[in-house]
Amino acid sequence: MTDPAETLAQQVTERVVDLLVSALDVNELAARVDLNALLGRIDLNAAVLNQVNVNALLDRVDMNALLDRVDVNALLDHVDVNALLDHVDVNALLGRADVDSLLGRLDVNALLGRVDVNDLVRRMDMDALVQDTDLGAVMARSTGGVASDVLDAARSQAVGLDQFVDRWVRRILRRKQPGPAAPPALLPAPPAVTPAQAAP
Amino acid sequence: MSASASPANLVTYQAHYAGAVSRFAAYAIDITLGTGLFSLALAAISYGVHVVTGHQVSWNQSNILVAIMYFAWLGVYFAYSWAVSGRTFGMAVLGIRVVKADGTTLPPSRAVVRTLAFPLSFLLFGLGFLGILVGREHRALHDVIAGSAVIYAWDARAARLRFLARQAELTAEGLPPAPDPIQITPTP
Repeated sequence: MTDPAETLAQQVTERVVDLLVSALDVNELAARVDLNALLGRIDLNAAVLNQVNVNALLDRVDMNALLDRVDVNALLDHVDVNALLDHVDVNALLGRADVDSLLGRLDVNALLGRVDVNDLVRRMDMDALVQDTDLGAVMARSTGGVASDVLDAARSQAVGLDQFVDRWVRRILRRKQPGPAAPPALLPAPPAVTPAQAAP
Repeated sequence: MSASASPANLVTYQAHYAGAVSRFAAYAIDITLGTGLFSLALAAISYGVHVVTGHQVSWNQSNILVAIMYFAWLGVYFAYSWAVSGRTFGMAVLGIRVVKADGTTLPPSRAVVRTLAFPLSFLLFGLGFLGILVGREHRALHDVIAGSAVIYAWDARAARLRFLARQAELTAEGLPPAPDPIQITPTP
């Protein structure tokens, strides 16, 4: 059985609290609270973080869905890559890299398979290479002799005479355009058009 | 006849239609070689007959049999060379080769047709050869009949590199460099 005085006291207390809460300006109260001081008094490690099982929390996160919602390009637009790279000590980075291990993981054959060696050779200035290095002397010792010299000279003279005769014939015949240089199957293929070149 | 030999202008003439001078020079070498070999063969036969029988055999050049043997031998010489490698000895010296008109390898059957059609270019007062001189693809009558063409099959770039290699060696020995014979630029 409850004491009537206690019941009355509870009712009075509840009424007072109601009136107090109604009269209280919560925003004003919040403005008066020094949150920094409050947070400074709270031991986050003991009170919160030690209670949280981060692994369990992460297990519940759908990372793919999270990443799908991230606009990586927009994110990267905000990043000043140059400033970022200025902070990177490349030498220190390279010092930590195990280059041997890296090379061991490289499939050199696959890499070379992707290299257009013919295009590479076409870009080389072979004349300069032969003249400026000992390669010329090595080639001279390893290739041909007087016979190949004579053949090269005879052939080049014959080609020169062919051109000379051809030029005069075209002049006499008043032919403006020269004929095809070579049979169709032996004509060099036109260079492939890249998507960037094809774009207007 | 030739212009500057800057590396940018230097081209390989490999696979280009061969001109009249190269082709006639190759032909002259082949006829000289063919005739020389034929004469040697006749001399060897005469010697063999003389050793075995003691009779002296003389070959009269106006003899119809000798003429037939001569042209048959030349036919075999040209047909075999074209069928096997697409080039005779003279063509190999001048660095030219016979191919099909489209540039692919000449099959033996076409090599034989070309050989059989070859005399026609002579029989029409040499007019069959006019195509080599004035034709855009430098094809003679026998080329048209056999569906063939003659192209350069030597690499001017490799020849120039060989020349530069010799120059480098001469320079290393302190000798003056030789004039550059491999100065080839494309026909304008």
